[in-house]
Amino acid sequence: MLPSIAARPFSLSWSERRTAAAIRLAAVAKRFYHYEHRTTSLREFFIRAVLRRPLAVRRARFSLEGLTLDIRRGESVAFIGRNGSGKSTALRLIAGIYAPSAGEVRVIGRIASVIELGAGFNPELTGRENVELYGAVMGMKRQEIARHFDAIIAFAELGEFVDEPVKFYSSGMQARLAFAVTVAVEPDVLLLDEVLAVGDASFRERCLARLERFRARGGTLVVVSHDLEQVRRLCERAVWLEQGRVRREGPAGEVTRAYEAASGTG
Amino acid sequence: MSEVLVRTSDRPPYALAEVWRFRELLRSLVVRNLRVKYQRSTLGFVWTLLNPLLTVTVLVTVFSLFLRIQIPHYWAFLVSGYFAWNFFLQMVNMSTWVLAEHSSLRRSVAFPPEVLVLAASLARMVELSIELGLALIVLALLHHHAVPASWVLLPLLLLLLWLVTLGLSFPVATLGAFYSDVQHALPIALLMLFYLSPVFYSAAQVPERMRPLYFLNPMASVLTLFQQVLYGGEWPGLPLLLGAGAGAVFLATAGYASFHRRKAVFAELV
Repeated sequence: MLPSIAARPFSLSWSERRTAAAIRLAAVAKRFYHYEHRTTSLREFFIRAVLRRPLAVRRARFSLEGLTLDIRRGESVAFIGRNGSGKSTALRLIAGIYAPSAGEVRVIGRIASVIELGAGFNPELTGRENVELYGAVMGMKRQEIARHFDAIIAFAELGEFVDEPVKFYSSGMQARLAFAVTVAVEPDVLLLDEVLAVGDASFRERCLARLERFRARGGTLVVVSHDLEQVRRLCERAVWLEQGRVRREGPAGEVTRAYEAASGTG
Repeated sequence: MSEVLVRTSDRPPYALAEVWRFRELLRSLVVRNLRVKYQRSTLGFVWTLLNPLLTVTVLVTVFSLFLRIQIPHYWAFLVSGYFAWNFFLQMVNMSTWVLAEHSSLRRSVAFPPEVLVLAASLARMVELSIELGLALIVLALLHHHAVPASWVLLPLLLLLLWLVTLGLSFPVATLGAFYSDVQHALPIALLMLFYLSPVFYSAAQVPERMRPLYFLNPMASVLTLFQQVLYGGEWPGLPLLLGAGAGAVFLATAGYASFHRRKAVFAELV
């Protein structure tokens, strides 16, 4: 009943590989529910089973509906919109963290993402251990991780903190390390959620420079951002989401200005 | 580095192929798991060995001196089954929080969550191998005064033990993701299972007419195999071996299926 997140490699012909979209979302929907009641203990589960009460009472809270989008290889696209419009959900669907409620998500190539502050770091582990773990999740070999390690630490400006548990890091340090390790795994598709909103100006500049290099190499970039100036600088295309639906889609300049006009900030 | 990913409702065989793609993560998690446990405590491995050793000492004292269970070389009998039971106990207990341990990673990167369960079980398996290695030396020197030929079956027994353990760990991990009080209910259930399993007594002491019922517990046949091979140094009967094998495969398949059916929503349960 529930589609799983498991991914299965399948073969594409050479010509398909050259022309195929890097990311294809076909009529994708993701529905969330607000639970007025949810059974969270076994004790209650048995009581409710005996009394024949429903285990959960829920109503639809938010849904992303009918998202159809092709993103070409090497393209860079931004999701914009107000808080709660479904931008991060769209990113999580592309990353494969959420299974779609309907529709199909297809991604070609290695995906790396920074979706929450700190690329899924375990606060108890040290910076070094987290880098190794993240590299391993991305399918990097030990030697590969070791080869990139110094560059990652240098980019993140961690210094001696590298062997301290991540829970002692400042939010800026976490963000820097997350970005550094994500870019270092040399993904084909890079997903960033508000990453450039943290950190100081000099770090943001270095990130933008790094992202431009990533794009020059043919990488596909999908970002979620509230900084429209940055969106115009970084992206060719923008998708404006409103309450889980695409309000407008097109060239970044055009869509961001329309969004600004509508929200009265332009 | 061009690979194509399609997300559909994949069935278990494909899902297992997916785990193979994440073998580097699996290896990394096993190493991490062991390192965290041993590097950060001064006595390291001694702690892991101390716990079963003390338990064995208490059980030997109580059951050979006070209750007088009529099994010759009772300590050797106990050692043969206890480490296997301890592996099962530790692993099933761990499964309640193994998904929660890496919740932030699961919310940020897509990877098959079964890797977490498998990694925990393999780390415990490394510990069990070391414990059993030591136990084998002591058994060969003090109990058999030789190395019984049937010990070549040990890898097969470990495989059966692993499958039975996974068969319970997967549903426990699934339940633990949905219900918070599993970690309170589980120790009670496992304590009951301990008394219903041949650890400190032999399945031969169970009345004949109750044995078909008794062997419904998959750990009963696995532990009996361990006792026959390690303690008895004998070749186990084929019916027992086949029964244990069939039970282990069935339990592992059913347990994994229950996990697989619900794993898509794990990332949404925080």
